[in-house]
Amino acid sequence: MTKENPTIIDVAKKIAPVISSRDITDILRSAISKAKTKSVNLDFSDVEFISRSASHALLTMKEDLHRKFSNKKEIIFINTGENIQTMFRAIAANRAVPRPKPTFKPERINIGSL
Amino acid sequence: MEKIIIPQPKNSTLLGQLVSLYNTFKGTKAEQNFEFDLSSLKWTCPLLVLPISAYVNSSNSKISLENCDIKDYLGAINFPQGVDNVPEIQKVIQSSKSYIPISVLKRKDKIERERLESMFASLVYQSLDTQVSGIKNALYYPITELVTNIFEHSKQDTGYIFGQFYPNKNYLDICIVDQGRGLKATYKEDKGLDFSDGNAITEVLKGHSTKPNKERGYGVWTSKKVVCEGLNGHFVLISGSAALVSSKSSDKLIALPDFNWHGVIVAYRIPKPARPFDITPYVE
Repeated sequence: MTKENPTIIDVAKKIAPVISSRDITDILRSAISKAKTKSVNLDFSDVEFISRSASHALLTMKEDLHRKFSNKKEIIFINTGENIQTMFRAIAANRAVPRPKPTFKPERINIGSL
Repeated sequence: MEKIIIPQPKNSTLLGQLVSLYNTFKGTKAEQNFEFDLSSLKWTCPLLVLPISAYVNSSNSKISLENCDIKDYLGAINFPQGVDNVPEIQKVIQSSKSYIPISVLKRKDKIERERLESMFASLVYQSLDTQVSGIKNALYYPITELVTNIFEHSKQDTGYIFGQFYPNKNYLDICIVDQGRGLKATYKEDKGLDFSDGNAITEVLKGHSTKPNKERGYGVWTSKKVVCEGLNGHFVLISGSAALVSSKSSDKLIALPDFNWHGVIVAYRIPKPARPFDITPYVE
């Protein structure tokens, strides 16, 4: 049996070199769903930065598409630079063991006192 | 149409800009139209100029630049209308190489918005002219987190972003503005929680997300941490009639009586980074 070649989606070309918004996953999800192959590689070659929010959304999308009963997709992130890897690893770790959120007690003043 | 003379800030600090912004909009009512007179300004900063730009663009307000010393600068940054697409920003950059124009981000075209924000972030990074390791991550992190919040929470279709590096003063100012429902209404409408404007800001900084997912709510406080602790900068967040002014050593929640910004304004100032920066401890 021959192994199928994965579909490759160039993320920077499809979206932008800086991936910021959570809602860009809609665009990638649509492109992935249209792919004729089960395996889809998201190519981050020319991506300079990915936000925490977009990383979280992409990891969630990856899991969703893997869990799907029909039109199931295997997503692999390829050519991720060191900073992209840092972000994905940090968000994945936080999903497993959420970081405690901070306490915050600011001093309260009136603008008239400035 | 009522005229508002924009008061010259008493000093160049973010707090000085905040006071000037407060005095500009103090006593105004939502959806009023004004003529904003900028003739008193000898210089300005993003925290003052961007909210006025957003206000003018979303109303029938006007600006008056007669006898204004900074008329050329305001023209170079495309004040008040800004630019809303990549070809236009490229055109503006070619004609005024020193300044990044005001960028107007629109919800409807996600890819154009993402590309415009990408270009803005890249221009800000280039303006710093630095090779210090990790600085791109440090700059991009708060920009991306704070802009994405506009389109996730504000229920507004437009967001504004503007930045300026001051080479003589060696610092960078960034401002991000929306005219959406604001933090207080977001908690009320999404979670049924009644907070004052000040308490809504405090909840955001505690990482209290309005989304049910426990993995959410990290964007604002981690961005403030990058700015204040990582880059030794100053951070301002305004919503409704309250403002947070933070630095590495203090957090002040300021009541703004007789003032109400419908939406959220975030501004921060960072000195030009001289040391390598590692984003890892801020995102883990």
